[in-house]
Amino acid sequence: MPLGVDIPAKEVQRYMGYHGISEIAPEMQALIDKAIDRLSTQSHPRIVSKEYLIDVNEKSVIIHADNEDLNLESESLARNLKDCCGAILLAATIGPSCDMLVRRASVTSAAEASVYQAAGAAAIEAFLDDENDRLKKQYEAKGYFLRPRFSPGYGDLKLEHQKDWFRLLDISKQIGIELTDSLLMVPTKSVSAIIGICRDPKAAGCPGCAGCGNCNMHKTCEFSKGRA
Amino acid sequence: MTLRERLGKEWLFCDGGTGSILQKLGLKGGELPELWNLNRPEDIKNLNKGYFEAGSNIVNTNTFGANRFKFDNVPEIVTAAVKLCQQARKEAGREDDAYVAIDVGPTGKLLEPMGDLPFNEAVDVFAEIIKAGYEAGGDVVVIETMSDSYEAKAAVVAAKEVCDLPIIVTMVYDETGKLLTGGGVEGTVAMLEGLKVDAIGINCGFGPKQMLPIAERLVKCCSLPIVVNPNAGLPRTENGKTVYDVDPQEFAEIMGDIAKLGVHVMGGCCGTTPDHISTMIKTVKEIPFTVPAAKNTTYVTSFADCVEIGKKPVIIGERINPTGKKKLQQALRDNNIDYLLTEALKQEEAGAHILDVNVGLPEIDEPSMMENVILQIQSVTNLPLQIDTTNIEALERGMRIYNGKPMINSVNGKEENIKAVMPLVAKYGGVLVALPLDEGGIPETSDGRIAIAKRLYEAADKYGIPRKDIVIDGLAMTISSDPNSAIATLDTVRRVRDEFDGHSILGVSNISFGLPARELVNSHFLTMAMQNGLSCAIINPCNGPMMASYRSFNALMNLDPNLTEFITSFKDYVAGTSSVASAKSSGTSSVAVLTLGEAIERGVVGRASEAMREELASGRDSLEIIDAELIPSLDRVGKGFEKGTVFLPQLLMSADAAKAAFAVVKEAMADKPRTTKGQVILATVKGDIHDIGKNIVKVMLENYGYDVIDLGKDVPPEVIVDCAIENNIRVVGLSALMTTTVASMEETIKLMREKKPDTKVIVGGAVMTPEYADKIGADAYAKDAMGTVRYCDSVFEGMIL
Repeated sequence: MPLGVDIPAKEVQRYMGYHGISEIAPEMQALIDKAIDRLSTQSHPRIVSKEYLIDVNEKSVIIHADNEDLNLESESLARNLKDCCGAILLAATIGPSCDMLVRRASVTSAAEASVYQAAGAAAIEAFLDDENDRLKKQYEAKGYFLRPRFSPGYGDLKLEHQKDWFRLLDISKQIGIELTDSLLMVPTKSVSAIIGICRDPKAAGCPGCAGCGNCNMHKTCEFSKGRA
Repeated sequence: MTLRERLGKEWLFCDGGTGSILQKLGLKGGELPELWNLNRPEDIKNLNKGYFEAGSNIVNTNTFGANRFKFDNVPEIVTAAVKLCQQARKEAGREDDAYVAIDVGPTGKLLEPMGDLPFNEAVDVFAEIIKAGYEAGGDVVVIETMSDSYEAKAAVVAAKEVCDLPIIVTMVYDETGKLLTGGGVEGTVAMLEGLKVDAIGINCGFGPKQMLPIAERLVKCCSLPIVVNPNAGLPRTENGKTVYDVDPQEFAEIMGDIAKLGVHVMGGCCGTTPDHISTMIKTVKEIPFTVPAAKNTTYVTSFADCVEIGKKPVIIGERINPTGKKKLQQALRDNNIDYLLTEALKQEEAGAHILDVNVGLPEIDEPSMMENVILQIQSVTNLPLQIDTTNIEALERGMRIYNGKPMINSVNGKEENIKAVMPLVAKYGGVLVALPLDEGGIPETSDGRIAIAKRLYEAADKYGIPRKDIVIDGLAMTISSDPNSAIATLDTVRRVRDEFDGHSILGVSNISFGLPARELVNSHFLTMAMQNGLSCAIINPCNGPMMASYRSFNALMNLDPNLTEFITSFKDYVAGTSSVASAKSSGTSSVAVLTLGEAIERGVVGRASEAMREELASGRDSLEIIDAELIPSLDRVGKGFEKGTVFLPQLLMSADAAKAAFAVVKEAMADKPRTTKGQVILATVKGDIHDIGKNIVKVMLENYGYDVIDLGKDVPPEVIVDCAIENNIRVVGLSALMTTTVASMEETIKLMREKKPDTKVIVGGAVMTPEYADKIGADAYAKDAMGTVRYCDSVFEGMIL
């Protein structure tokens, strides 16, 4: 099944650790092209999402779900969702084939494995960006605006909350991602996130409340956006 | 009558949704529904009773998620559920014709090698549930909502090991007929039929309309009774609540259409109610019942692939077999699984459909090796495998761990051998290669072989193995010792087809043993065998003439639609060589002139090994080449990386090129003792399944002359420490990607300090920082692969003898 969106080569290069480089060896470019091609055709993207009413406090966010109020203790999330009336919880994956391609490449070539790794990361982001855009338009048509994605593990939102996402969205059954004991998602090229819904268009971009600048790995991260 | 007697003879009906009804009764989000068996038994009993009264014959106990990952009192919860369901049946007056089904859902975990749950642990988890249900008096095991065929297999194996109740398995497919793990309808059915379940079906996922095409596919390929349990339409969210739109009337109408396809058991899943079920039953009962028809198709499957035996000859790659292969023998002794994986991928690339796996060497633990190798090969290829061993324990462990329906090589006509092998095939399923030889040896004539083949078919009947799953070996033996042998073999192959409508197989190259130019005889013999009806050829798919014969035969016999495979394979054919100009050879002039050092710096793998060969051929000493060319160029790249002028991908390309050049040296010095700077253990710690970073470090360390013991990923602390003690290791490298797994890194270091304090531990991984490394007590932090190399150099410096 095709991925359905383009995987930007520039993003693949960024995930590979190239910073601001213009010239890439033809051998490497060939590997990147091959990886993009394989992932574009062999991925099996799936997404599940649900909308909830929420309450945002100083240091926590409460999700009003079916028969359950979920309390997320997190200042950074509260900041991200400030003034939001609702939120979309979602999870997405490009399926298991990328993991298989990485393992296959690992047998013979570390370089190729790292290319698949990077292309997979770029693929799930591209797929999610596309879905995100679709949601954005849907909500804008109804007069609502969306905040940037925020995931368990970002800032002070504990990774433990992965379990809540899996319960509320029934992720394993719906789209086939499973959670390991250490809270990692398999297939590895998967993302869980929350997107705030607000009324005020000016607050939609929410500058400074998400993105790399707010991450606790910002200073050391190889992949940080905006690094030269 | 028992359920087993009724399945496939008359309309039977399952129950409908559970979760949706319990939520209406006030089940909170996050509350486990199975707890109600103890806390609100009356509600659960009434739920069951509603379905018995609606007319369901098979009603599930409230045990879908009652596993030990969620509960520490599984037997209590399951027993209560069975008792409630029995009570409900009694109250509904249905004790004569309805059954209590022990409901088994997925564990919510992914099995190894994709995830972190070992297969045999999954079997234990399921066995606990089913045993409790059986002892409490359940009548049937319903394994449902499975989206991974491997997990379904674990549950079926568990059921068979704790009871003799009928087993029904229903899977969740998507709109394209795929499981979430990639398998298709036909392959999954083949695996489940092999496991001898009693009925196979589909449930959940979507509504009856979307399920219809999948049911159609099931009817085409399944010989067993078919079960269809859809949701009440596609789930839709309304203010955070999941709702289903198909009402009982519409549900019944579409279920009526599905019934006409020729399915046998019908019910509902999420969103359906006793109303849906009773309305459906009224409609379906009016439709004539068709009994299941046996299908004569033979499939060998993996978790994702499905190879049909019998239509077009199938190529089985023979390269993973240590007989006569020194390098493979050495790899098995060194536990160098990567070598086997490389062979697997090469054969796949060359066009094999199935891979033979034989790991029998007298000095290794064959059962453990077989289990591990199967798991590893299945993590890198979709191709189905042929488990090839004479060791019965290795065979059983291989068949158990295998994901899919394997080929089994082999059984023979000896009574004792039949008794050992056939029960295993009856239990786990498989396509069985049968050798027509017995206590009297190998018959010289086809008459003798066919007589034994007949006995083998009869034995299969006795064990309940369908004849379509037997593949008779024509027993190719060299014409250099018996001039008649090819004729006898070809005759056997032809008669298997003509007299039994059966399938055949040959280890083709045995025919030329002891002759020169073997590939000439082999490739012609292959063509002759295929012309006589050969179904499976065990060959080396990397051999040009063999694949040329195979592809030409298919082209000539109209087995290659539009000649696509032939044309793709031979568009670059060089006349007179039976081979294809290799696109990978460094024929382009700009690359061909690179020196070894340049090839490594630029990361051109093919040229690096070629240049190394040229250097060796010119008479230069291998150590001198390594010291004067290979290491310095690798070092230049490494230093550039450390300075930030070279990026990781380039470093890795160079590492790959250097590795290829080293492989050439290793081959040339195969008999001489190897020198190494020292031994280093690498492992991704327990709980973490990311190993790409660790693999990069491994390649770099090996290139810099270290002997690496790679313990893999998700490695428990005690395994790492024991290995360090056993091999007296000076440096251990640990990798962890997530903050959640740094804890097991710390635990490993603690245990190491306690049991082997003189071993240094260096740590790395995405979330690691020097401060973090210090905090958990590591000796050093490595920013990247080069960092680990430098650290090892500093530890081992002056140690080299």
